[in-house]
Amino acid sequence: MNWAQVPTLIWESAYLGIVPALLGLVISVPLGIACTRWKWLYAPVLSTTSVLYALPSLALFIVLIPYTGLTDTTVIIPLTLFSLCVLLPAVVDGFRSVPEPVRQAATAMGFGTTRRLVQVELPLAVPIVIGGLRVAVVSSISLASVGQLIGVSSLGYLIVDGYQRDFPEEIYVGGGLIIALALICDLLLVLLRRVLTPWRPRRARRQVEPLPIGVPVRPLPGGAA
Amino acid sequence: MITFESVTKRYPGGTVAVDSLDLEVPGGQTMVLVGPSGCGKTTTLRMINRLIDPTSGRILLDGQDIQQSNPDTLRRGIGYVIQQSGLFPHKTIEDNIGTVPLLLGWKKGRARDRARELMGLVGLDEDLARRYPYQLSGGQQQRVGVARALAADPPVLLMDEPFSAVDPIVRATLQDELLRLQAELHKTVVLVTHDVEEAIKVGDQVAIFRPGGHIAQLDRPERLLRAPADGYVENFLGFDRGIRRLSFLAASGLSLDDRAVVSEDTAASRAADAARQAGEDWVLVTDSGHRPRGWAAASDLEGLPAGSQAGQARLEPYGHTFDVRTDSLRAALDATVLSPTGQAAGVDDDGQVVGVTTYERLRAAIQAADQAAPAADRDSGGPAGARDGIEASGETSAPAGTEPQSPAPEKAS
Repeated sequence: MNWAQVPTLIWESAYLGIVPALLGLVISVPLGIACTRWKWLYAPVLSTTSVLYALPSLALFIVLIPYTGLTDTTVIIPLTLFSLCVLLPAVVDGFRSVPEPVRQAATAMGFGTTRRLVQVELPLAVPIVIGGLRVAVVSSISLASVGQLIGVSSLGYLIVDGYQRDFPEEIYVGGGLIIALALICDLLLVLLRRVLTPWRPRRARRQVEPLPIGVPVRPLPGGAA
Repeated sequence: MITFESVTKRYPGGTVAVDSLDLEVPGGQTMVLVGPSGCGKTTTLRMINRLIDPTSGRILLDGQDIQQSNPDTLRRGIGYVIQQSGLFPHKTIEDNIGTVPLLLGWKKGRARDRARELMGLVGLDEDLARRYPYQLSGGQQQRVGVARALAADPPVLLMDEPFSAVDPIVRATLQDELLRLQAELHKTVVLVTHDVEEAIKVGDQVAIFRPGGHIAQLDRPERLLRAPADGYVENFLGFDRGIRRLSFLAASGLSLDDRAVVSEDTAASRAADAARQAGEDWVLVTDSGHRPRGWAAASDLEGLPAGSQAGQARLEPYGHTFDVRTDSLRAALDATVLSPTGQAAGVDDDGQVVGVTTYERLRAAIQAADQAAPAADRDSGGPAGARDGIEASGETSAPAGTEPQSPAPEKAS
C-alpha cells in the first residue's frame, strides 16, 4: 500500500462525512421549524425520512449514476438523505426542549415570531441539534466508504484495495483510520457545542449523550467556564 | 389605568374562562387577582398583554382599546414577570435584563448600563451581571425577572404567580421588596396568585375570583377581612381573619395607660400607689432615659424596706415592645399576649415608653376602628381611618401620626 496517498484519503473521507451532514442540517432546520409549527406535518415527514434511511446506499448510487455520474455528488446525495433521519428529529426535539416559560416570556416581552425563533429558540436548540449532527457525521464517514464501489475515493479505498489484493493489514488500517476519523470529528463537534453553549450547567454537560457509539467525553479540568 | 369592559373568554369546546368581566385597575396601584386554579385569573392577566385575546368585550389601557395596537409594540410597554422567572438560559444576567431595551433599539452599552442600574434596584450584586441564569439561586433569578420586566420603565407590570416557585422565606423577602419597589416606582401592577396571604400583603386592591371567571369580591385587603361579601369569600380568606385584619389598624389608635409607668428612682411606695391607682397589679419600671426595664409587682414594691426605690424591686422581663407610630394593632396585641403581665409597653421612635396596653384598651381600640370603618368606606376609597375615633378618652393617647394622611401601618408581616 502507498502511505503517501493516506492523507488525501483521510481528507476525502472527512469531506464525504461532513458535507452530507451539513447539507442535511440545512434541509432539517427549515423542515424542523415547519414541523414544529404545523404539528400534523411531523409524522408523515418523519416516516419519509425513515423510509429514505432504509434504502440501500448502493441501489441509490446506481439510480443516480445516469444523472450525476461517478462523482462525489452521487455519494453525497444519498448520505444527505440518510442524515435527515437523525437530524430532523434532533431539530424538532431541540425546539421542543425550549422551556415553555422561556417561550412565553419572549412573546410577552414583544419578540415577534421570527425574532423569537432566531434569538431564543435556535440558540436553545443548539445542544440537541449538535447531538444529532454528531451521529450524522459519524455515520456519513463510515457510509462514505461504500462509495469506493463506484469509484468515489475515500478511506474505503484501503478496504477495497486490501480485499482485492488479499492484503488484510491494509483492510485493518483502512477500518482503523475510518473509526479514528469518526471519533475525531465527533470530538470536534463536542468542543464546538461547548463553545456555543457556555450557558449550560456543568452537570448537564457531563451527562452521557444519547449516542449509539461510546465517545470518550473528558470532563472539563475544573471551572464552570 | 386598565379597564375591562364586559370581557368574556370562551375557549373552543365551550369552557368559559372569564365571564363578562368588568374590572378597573387604577393607575399606580397594585391589583391582585386571587382565586383557586381554573377561576380565570391568569386568563384575565394574559388578556392585558394580548397573550390571549378575548372572545368578546374590550380592554382599555389608558383609554386605548388594546385590540387596536400591534401586539409586539403593546408588550414592549408592559413588564411581565412569570413564575419560573422565564429567564433566557443562554443570555447573561445583564443581557436578560436588557432584553426589552434592546428590542426597542437601544445601543448595547446603554442597555447594559440600565441593566446594572436595575440590578441595584432589585438588590442584586453587580458581580452577577456576567453570569448565566443557571448560576443563580431561585430567589435571585426571580429578582432578575423583576428587573427585566422593569428595564424599559413600563408604566404597567403584570406578574403571573411571581413568587410561587421559591421557598417561603425567600418569598416573604421578595414580597417585601415588591412593596418597597412599588412605594418608589408607583407602577400599575396586576399580580396573579393563588395565595390569599400574598394577596392581602401586597395588594392595594384584591379581586377574589370564583370558579367560572367571576369576581366574588373586589376590595381593599382590610375591608375583605372585615366584611367578606359571602360565604365563599369568607371561606377563601381562611382562618384567623379577625386577627389578620388587625395588621391594617394602626397602633396609634390605641389609648395607652401611662399611670402605671414609673422611673426606677421613684420611691417604691409611690410606685405601688401608682399601680393601685391604675387598678393594676404591676407597674412598668423605666430607666432614667424612660426606656423600659421590667415589670414590678405592686405587692413586691410594698414589701420593700422604707426608702427603697422602684428599681430595687424584683423585675419581670418586659418582653417585646411595639412602636406606637409605625406598628399595627396586631403587633400591640401580640406583645400583650406574650407579656407575663398581660400588658405590653408601647414605645416611641426613640424607644421611650409612651404607656402600656391592657386587653380592655385593645378591645376599645378595635371597637372604635370598627365603628369608624363604615364611615371611612363611605367617605373615600382611601385607607380606613382607624385612629380618629379613640382620642376622646382623656388619658394619654399615643402620639397619633403627625400627618393624618400617613399610610396605614406596615402591612402584615
